[in-house]
Amino acid sequence: MISLTKAFGLVSTFVSERFPTDKLNYHAMVEKKEVPIHSMSWGYYTGGMTMFFFGIQVLTGLFLLFYYQPTVSDANISVEYINKYVTCGALIRNMHAWSSSGMILFAMVHLLTAFAMKSFVKPREITWIAGVLLLFITFTFGFTGYLLPWNQIAVNATKVGLQSVEYVGQYLPGQLAEVPRILRETFQGESSVGQSTLGRFYALHVVILPLLLVGLLGLHLLSVQLHGMSQGVDQAAKKSEKFVSIFVFKDLTLWSSAFLVLFIMASCIPFESFLSYPLLAPFNALGSTPGGIKPEWYFFFVYYPLELLPFWVILLASVVLVAILMAAPWIFKGTSRKTLQLLAGLASIYLIVMTVFGEQIYEFYKH
Amino acid sequence: MNFASDQRARLKGPKATILLPIILTLYAEITVTPKVEAYPEYQQFIEQHSHKTVNCAMCHVNDNGPVGNEHGQIGALDKDQLVRLNKARAALLPGQVVDSPILNQFGNEIIKALGKKEFLACKTDPSKLAQLLGDTSDLDEDGIPDSKEYLDGTDPLNKFHGDPVKLFMINLNRNKIHVILAIVAVLSINFGLIHLIKAIMLTQASSRKGH
Amino acid sequence: MIDTLLFIVLPYLAVVLCIFGSIYRVRKAPMTYSALSSQFLESKGLMWGSLPWHIGITIILLAHFVAFAVPGFWQSIVASHTALIIIESIGMSLSVLCLFGLLILTIRRLTSAKLQAVTSVMDLVVIALLFIQVALGAATAMHCKWGSAWCSGTTTPYLWSLLTLHPDPSYIADLPLIVKGHILGGWLFILVIPFSRLIHMFAVPIEYLFRPPQNVVWTNPRKFAQAGETFQSDEVRRHFVQAAAGILFGGSLLSIGTFRNIFSFFFGPRLSVKEETELMETRLHRLESTADQRKLELQRQASNYILICNLTELNAENGKYFIDYKMQPGIAFMGEDGLPLLISAKCTHLGCTVGNKVDANGKILCPCHVSFFDIKTGQPDPGAPAKEPLAHLGWVLMDERGKVLAQRDNSGTTTGTITSQTQTTARVYIAKNREDKA
Repeated sequence: MISLTKAFGLVSTFVSERFPTDKLNYHAMVEKKEVPIHSMSWGYYTGGMTMFFFGIQVLTGLFLLFYYQPTVSDANISVEYINKYVTCGALIRNMHAWSSSGMILFAMVHLLTAFAMKSFVKPREITWIAGVLLLFITFTFGFTGYLLPWNQIAVNATKVGLQSVEYVGQYLPGQLAEVPRILRETFQGESSVGQSTLGRFYALHVVILPLLLVGLLGLHLLSVQLHGMSQGVDQAAKKSEKFVSIFVFKDLTLWSSAFLVLFIMASCIPFESFLSYPLLAPFNALGSTPGGIKPEWYFFFVYYPLELLPFWVILLASVVLVAILMAAPWIFKGTSRKTLQLLAGLASIYLIVMTVFGEQIYEFYKH
Repeated sequence: MNFASDQRARLKGPKATILLPIILTLYAEITVTPKVEAYPEYQQFIEQHSHKTVNCAMCHVNDNGPVGNEHGQIGALDKDQLVRLNKARAALLPGQVVDSPILNQFGNEIIKALGKKEFLACKTDPSKLAQLLGDTSDLDEDGIPDSKEYLDGTDPLNKFHGDPVKLFMINLNRNKIHVILAIVAVLSINFGLIHLIKAIMLTQASSRKGH
Repeated sequence: MIDTLLFIVLPYLAVVLCIFGSIYRVRKAPMTYSALSSQFLESKGLMWGSLPWHIGITIILLAHFVAFAVPGFWQSIVASHTALIIIESIGMSLSVLCLFGLLILTIRRLTSAKLQAVTSVMDLVVIALLFIQVALGAATAMHCKWGSAWCSGTTTPYLWSLLTLHPDPSYIADLPLIVKGHILGGWLFILVIPFSRLIHMFAVPIEYLFRPPQNVVWTNPRKFAQAGETFQSDEVRRHFVQAAAGILFGGSLLSIGTFRNIFSFFFGPRLSVKEETELMETRLHRLESTADQRKLELQRQASNYILICNLTELNAENGKYFIDYKMQPGIAFMGEDGLPLLISAKCTHLGCTVGNKVDANGKILCPCHVSFFDIKTGQPDPGAPAKEPLAHLGWVLMDERGKVLAQRDNSGTTTGTITSQTQTTARVYIAKNREDKA
């Protein structure tokens, strides 16, 4: 009984330290908030950029909802209809595609900078964990959205992705070995990727994931505002600026520039022109898979190693990575910012190399 | 038809001597080169030239080529379609408008521009086809002429498919009014925001001094 | 006659009077040509009235001037529908801005006792004239749409004809009364310039825009202390005005561009009959293939045998795809023994559909991760990503009456043979397995 009260006491201290009630007011969270100015200050803008791209996603997504039809017979033709006939349809769809890439890019940069700035230590553990979960949700958005146009690359990449999930089963012990298969069947909904899969992915992409993301984002932002910006550098910055309105307006300036870049990219380069065109043909159940099936660029960092190394290596590495990310606030509690910066730098180099040169590396080792 | 296996044998050769682009092309070739084809020389040429995967659907109706019983293949034609097919096959000289049921718009355009005779002659040198097609025809109106799309291995009938860099330049030029207006709008918004920040900074500084 | 008087005599009279009158006034009474300032008497209303009015009217007059001075260039701009709409919208909002400013200025003139003292009759005439002129301009924009486009064929040549001393009012003879009124108002406006405060427009202090802010240094200590603050608040206000101008202009430009398209996005396209037909055909075609897929599934529930094709249609190099009882793809080849060879097409690695073309080594390829499978054994190449072999599938050969000629079960045991006569009529089926039935 005593241990129970003790445990309850621990939990309540933990929560009250993360959500101090005396700070839960507008004055402390908004009016008083200051943003430090130092050499890493640019890191404070990456989260805002991610949020901007998310906003664009919501907006353009709502537009696309007007015309998209989630059935295997009509999905592809409805996308073609948007592209070909609807006023600005191609632009909106293209913005959705480009901005999804922007969102993922900035979410990853945000994670790396937050890591390098050691923004996860007490009392910001919850901010960090919510952030990591948000990144995973963003990736899931990418994966589910990829299927919706129902073309060759969409369906085949989804098949490969879902099958990879099932592959995990063989490394799990006992009853657990069945879990990945059950998971795959749950999301696939029928014996092969078909109407049920499309419906499920659509529900996930359009309703469930957005709700999850908005909920978590609320928690993330609340705790960011509660605890203020983290110090970010070892020596506390001498200068700082007001969050309202200086930082907010600086954020807005950046957002409007990002909008310009997005607009120019989306109106000038169709996102699909990077793929070879047989992949863009509507999916045909009675035919072979065309060559060149691959995921979106933001999965390259795990896709190419997966192609080159045994599956269990990647599986182990992913599990370890996820565990490290989730437990970072406790693992790296005592690590210096210098070391963290080095780690983040190495991770960025790996990500950039794998994303840009992944295909070449793959071809080099495969043949 | 030992094409695919030859390439495979070469693929297994020493790594260092083979250049990456070639590997890419060969990889693309093994994956899609079918055995029964009307004129596979063109497909091989495009893939070698562009390092991109293409299939029969560039010129044909069916992405598996004209042989077979499926939609757009010779085995599935009705009487009227056979008449059109044979008319297209007899169009030896350029300038005849043909509507072959096994060819798509681009395929028919090739026959119209070159004539069947010249088209067959190009088999030994498929790059000549691009020269003969010229730069005037652009069926999908994406700004890249059909002949260039043929060389790039991009879809000549899809407005949203083409070499990304070329599309960027073309669309930038086409949308220049919108792009310029967007730049003007964003620049003036940013100009305003920067002055807003300056004004707020000044008021904050003076209010700090005041206290 | 009346046209000649109003649109030829009046213009020349107005311009000549304007030029000579202004020169005379500047020479004789040089201190009067800048407008009599009333900022000391009343400043708040002046800010809200004078600023919108001057911003609006300056840009509108500039646009009028461009359309008159370089009609070719102007026409090339308004030829774009988007640009035309943007110009018209900006013009309209600016004229509303002008009217708003004028209204404030008028109220201020009429209600402030201090101002009444310095207000001349001419000031009231000017204000009335401006009101009428701006209202007529806005009415022109509303009633005779796209004035910025048609002006280059009507008013511009008329003005040029005046300038080149070959006056010809017939260019504007058939214009509506509103437009004629607007033109007439313009000439009257020029006419009163030398007699009113309007002359101040020849003395625009443009250099003020580029001059660095100046601080008045007072010798009086009390005023000296205040001056710093006044100076600063002036600078802050300057920044705020620039901010408002930038954000409002950019914001309205963006929203004009966006909202125009948003509406037609939701309104939806209106297709031509040909486009509509093509679209419907494609839709129907896709629906039919989906229906075929459903039929296959249903057939697999109901019947014990599923037809793949005639035996003669099979060949050794180019496999025929089919869907098996588990709704997974399979490929049918002709085997070396003259009997069918059916193999699963679902790659044992990650489930892509394996290609149906056999290469010279008797292998088929899964393109996703480059695994070659031997069709005779089903085994993948050593070192390929796929480790498990592709399963061979059983088949049943029947003649057209449904009599079983030969069959092979999933384990590979073949029973029965075919002869050269039965070969031509034989059809290849797959049979439902016992475990499939369960």
